[in-house]
Amino acid sequence: MEEIVLGIGITALAGALATVAGAAEDTESDIGSQGDPNSQVQLAPQMGYIHRIFNKAVSGEPPAYGLWCAIGAGVAWAFLQLNYNPALAIILGSIVAVFIQGIYCTSGYLGRTASLAKFKQPVYIDILKSLTSVTMAHAFVAIFCTTAVCYLMSAALHHPFALPLLGLIWGIALGAAGSASGNPFYGKERQYQNQKFGAGVPISASGNIVRYAEAGQRSSLDNGWFTTKFAGPASGICFGLIVFLELWRTVLFEESLAGWGAVIAGIVLILIFTFIDRWIEVWGRKTYGPYTEPEESSS
Amino acid sequence: MTAKMEASEGKMPHNKLMTYGLVIAVVGTYLTYLNVLTGVAVFSFFGGIAAVAALWWGSDTIKHLCSYGLGTGVPSAGMIAFGSGAIAMIVGTKFGIASPIVTVILAAILGAVIGYTANNIINMNIPVMIMSLMELAVVGAMTMLGFAAMATGSFEFNQLIIGSMSLSVESAGVAAGGAQTFLVTAIPQYGNSLIGGAALAVIFFLGALALQHPFNACLGPNESQDRTLMLALSCGFLSMIVVAIISFVFIGLLAGTISLIISLIAWFYCYKTYIDLSKRDAYAWLDSKPIIEVGGDQ
Repeated sequence: MEEIVLGIGITALAGALATVAGAAEDTESDIGSQGDPNSQVQLAPQMGYIHRIFNKAVSGEPPAYGLWCAIGAGVAWAFLQLNYNPALAIILGSIVAVFIQGIYCTSGYLGRTASLAKFKQPVYIDILKSLTSVTMAHAFVAIFCTTAVCYLMSAALHHPFALPLLGLIWGIALGAAGSASGNPFYGKERQYQNQKFGAGVPISASGNIVRYAEAGQRSSLDNGWFTTKFAGPASGICFGLIVFLELWRTVLFEESLAGWGAVIAGIVLILIFTFIDRWIEVWGRKTYGPYTEPEESSS
Repeated sequence: MTAKMEASEGKMPHNKLMTYGLVIAVVGTYLTYLNVLTGVAVFSFFGGIAAVAALWWGSDTIKHLCSYGLGTGVPSAGMIAFGSGAIAMIVGTKFGIASPIVTVILAAILGAVIGYTANNIINMNIPVMIMSLMELAVVGAMTMLGFAAMATGSFEFNQLIIGSMSLSVESAGVAAGGAQTFLVTAIPQYGNSLIGGAALAVIFFLGALALQHPFNACLGPNESQDRTLMLALSCGFLSMIVVAIISFVFIGLLAGTISLIISLIAWFYCYKTYIDLSKRDAYAWLDSKPIIEVGGDQ
């Protein structure tokens, strides 16, 4: 019984950490225009819209965060092997990971922008100076929290996987959560505030992203300001729920049916969420009007 | 990614680059064998050099493969390289002193099979597909082998899976006929080794992102080969820094510090050169200047 109480406590703590990690991850990637919104930022100069948005091209978020968290957990693991204090080891791991992340960000922006010289997109070096540190700070929070979740799983819940592998898996999960639930706020909404709400992105508007702000010219910090309020919490809830429910079902049901209890609980959870998703979709359609059928055309 | 893919005409021919990359990778991995010959671990950093050479060659291969309109395929090319390379590398390390050579051959066979499947069975029909996937599998395998050799000081399987030995003392009194004797057996510990501790997973992803990042970051109409390759070197040495930190666990303070210093210096030089090359290629290099309108129809 005591073990289960401890397990539930760890589960709650890990869920809370994961929520913070998710929020920080999405804010970081939106400030850097990583993931799918990146394509529009990349396209804009080719359509004649020179902008001052951070174009941080480091693959998609899941592989990128897989790497950052694997480095965080791997270096933390190394320092744990050298008998460092766990808290210090995790912090050192996160610092190394954030260093790598910052370097990748700057090289991504410089590379992409320099390769767009034909379209007269200049390199605005102040973007790197002012925004790299912001993304690094958010990435540090995300990596530190995720590595701490992995350490809790490994040390307190005795997960059979080694710490670096847990870091890799949960890093990919973190990137996927942020990419799936947070990015639409930036890529579909914030970049296209000049289009009719809910209109989607027509082909003719491709690359025509909002480049001017309430005052002056929009920088990626303005995007961070917007996504911190909307996209960050959404990603945080998403990743927090993933971690919490995953650990919850394992802690409670692992003993029953020789381990199959946790598997069955997982399947039941998936079915419940499928039902909720479907219900929200139907409710959304009924409330905000039906989809209009796309016109049949030869193209 | 909707960027129009126009790979630059390489100044250095790809075959020449491949030869250099492969030779340096194999020779560099073999140079870590000096550790065994001399009994010290300070030659481990040669494994890192080998891995960087492989990455340098691989990023040019990715450029060739992905210039066939594989926009979002750039990061996935890095993943498939290391996914196929990982198998070849782990099997290859079982062959003792011949490991690097066997790894290259196994990876090439594996890459050819994957390339044939992609091109002829899934019908992707990209002319350079089979050759490119062969090269990428070798790059992935040699990068992992190089970094693994750098972290542990050896490219042999036992060194990669056994972290340390612990002694187990059992009383064997009854079996020995009453006299109080003990059986002392050495039990290998797997949990703190490179593969058992999953530090290889870190190497896998370090290599995979370092392989795809140079071309992914530099793609566009004004991509130039020297800048992309300089970024490949920079990413390679950056990965080497992390492997050097992890290697403190396996090869000790002195050898780890040597690896760390070499990788830091090499990374700093390459990164600085890369920034200079970006400055050369950029349309303009502005600090705190407004948007220059060129005529979007807003």
